[in-house]
Amino acid sequence: MQIKETTNTGLKRAYALTIPAAEIESKIDGEVKKIAPQVKMPGFRPGKVPGNLVRKMHGEQLHAQVLNETIRSSVDDLMKEKKLRPAMQPDISLDESYEQGKDAEVSVAMEILPEIEAPETDDLKIEKLTVPVTDEQVDEALERIAGQNKSYKDAPKTKKAAEGDQLIIDFVGRMDGEEFEGGKAEGAPLVIGSGQFIPGFEDQLTGVKAGDEKTIKVTFPDNYPAENLAGKEAEFDITVQSVKVEDETKVDDEFAKNLGLDDLQKLKDVLRAQLEQETAGLTRTQMKRSLLDQLAAGHDFDVPEGMVEAEFNQIWQQLQQEVAKSDDPEEAMKEIEAEKDDYRKIAVRRVRLGLLLSEIGQANNVQVSGQEMNMLIQQAAQQYRQEDRQRFMEYVRNDPMAAAQLRAPIYEDKVVDFLFDKAEVTEREVTREELEAAIEAEEETEAKPAAKKKAPAKKSAAKKTTSKADDKEATEKPAAKKAPAKKAAASKDSQKDAGETKPAAKKAPTKKAASKSAKADEPAKKEAAKKPAAKKTAAKKPASK
Amino acid sequence: MAKKQDIDARHYDVVLAPHITEKATLLSEHNAVVFKVAGDATKPQIREAVEAIFDTKVKKVNTVVQKGKVKRWKGKPYRRNDVKKAVVTLVEGANPIDVTSGI
Repeated sequence: MQIKETTNTGLKRAYALTIPAAEIESKIDGEVKKIAPQVKMPGFRPGKVPGNLVRKMHGEQLHAQVLNETIRSSVDDLMKEKKLRPAMQPDISLDESYEQGKDAEVSVAMEILPEIEAPETDDLKIEKLTVPVTDEQVDEALERIAGQNKSYKDAPKTKKAAEGDQLIIDFVGRMDGEEFEGGKAEGAPLVIGSGQFIPGFEDQLTGVKAGDEKTIKVTFPDNYPAENLAGKEAEFDITVQSVKVEDETKVDDEFAKNLGLDDLQKLKDVLRAQLEQETAGLTRTQMKRSLLDQLAAGHDFDVPEGMVEAEFNQIWQQLQQEVAKSDDPEEAMKEIEAEKDDYRKIAVRRVRLGLLLSEIGQANNVQVSGQEMNMLIQQAAQQYRQEDRQRFMEYVRNDPMAAAQLRAPIYEDKVVDFLFDKAEVTEREVTREELEAAIEAEEETEAKPAAKKKAPAKKSAAKKTTSKADDKEATEKPAAKKAPAKKAAASKDSQKDAGETKPAAKKAPTKKAASKSAKADEPAKKEAAKKPAAKKTAAKKPASK
Repeated sequence: MAKKQDIDARHYDVVLAPHITEKATLLSEHNAVVFKVAGDATKPQIREAVEAIFDTKVKKVNTVVQKGKVKRWKGKPYRRNDVKKAVVTLVEGANPIDVTSGI
């Protein structure tokens, strides 16, 4: 095998390999000998087919197979000989004029990984901002739960229904004198002012008493989901079974017991744990960010263009999706077009940090154990339907690329953990707002483009902070709601729930590497999306749990 | 390959196909090749055909008629076709025949 270097610029390398025909030929012979004992052919006992006949029959396939193998192994040899570390799959192409019996000319083009000195990990200084969970916060959370678990009690018969009261009603809906589908219910609970029903429905029921019968006319809104009803007028015959008034929920041991916990103290503990976990997540984000900044600041090296390109494309795609969803796609598109260069810089930074982290990991022998891998696969499989899970797991097991993709985030996390251990960590207590502000500030100073990136996605950074805070609250709610549903195991489960949302969110590809702003955006969105779903489960709680 | 004009269609009517089996490959040690030939082909005809098609010299031709097996289908017995095989031994040093090349 002859090797000729054709290009050597920056991190790009290209080689021309010549594999002599004799080498290929002898490999085919070897292959023939290997498969001969398994060949079946009419007229011969199994395995007794002479070699030359085998070659006649399977020559073509064998040749292709051998050629492939030879090329692969010779490329491997090339890597070893020149001590190359390819950044991505090398681009291999066979000369077109090649035929069997000729020397094979193979050209190999690739980008290599830059030589990175395993970075110094000893003199890192990180400030750990911890947020103590105060009693007030716990109380606040408690109240929120209480608010969501309103109970209603029967009001005296003469009580007229007012805003905030609950009605138990039977109703029959008619359109043009005919009953329509879904327009009939018995014993349906309706809180006046809750906006559950179509507009006008609830208003007209204000002032009714238990036992009243009433006919009301409403118009379905134009955007009503059921098309045959949208924009039509309908009549409802309503019988009010009872009027109920809201009952004050007292936060006491009894209330905790209703939620399936031993006493109030337990409930508080659970809530505190949840809050702590949340702030711990924030703290970690902040630590990681400052760590990555230090790393990025201390190292500057060329990164393979191919990898940057891939990363950039990923960012770009994501942006385009966001743009497509935004109110004014064209305007937003222009905006991101204008900032294309910035995004490219982000991509470079991400790739660089990714390389750096993996280098540190390798240098310090950080490994992902099989057990962790299994957990990861399980978790990822959750996203799929029951039937597909098995298939997905098989796929991951059999496909090293897919497995690597899954492994990447956890590996990164482990390396970061490792660095945390090594680094000098100074702790400082701050409030939650300060912590969030710190994350925000770093985003803006060090990764300017990253901060900009938020703009098209979320209009303004300031707005984002608030929305993030809102979303955080949102997560609390469903988690807290689930807790009561789950009897004894509640505390454990709810913690796990809270924990799960995070790693799940982490897996999102955008979060990869040092994806600053995406990191903040992504979980927020996910959590927001989760809110309605979680509510639904809470509503169904007696049936499903 | 034989010169075109020497080969006649009738030659292909005589020699039908090479008979490729383990035993036939063993015979190649003795410079012999086995063909399936037409049932009514005679040894001289086979010699002429093989010499014409493969452009070689034939030393001798031995033939066998392999009787078709009696099989049954839906209980009714029937016979498979007979096959005439010719073991053609070539003169030493003559052009060897590559039976697998397919003509």
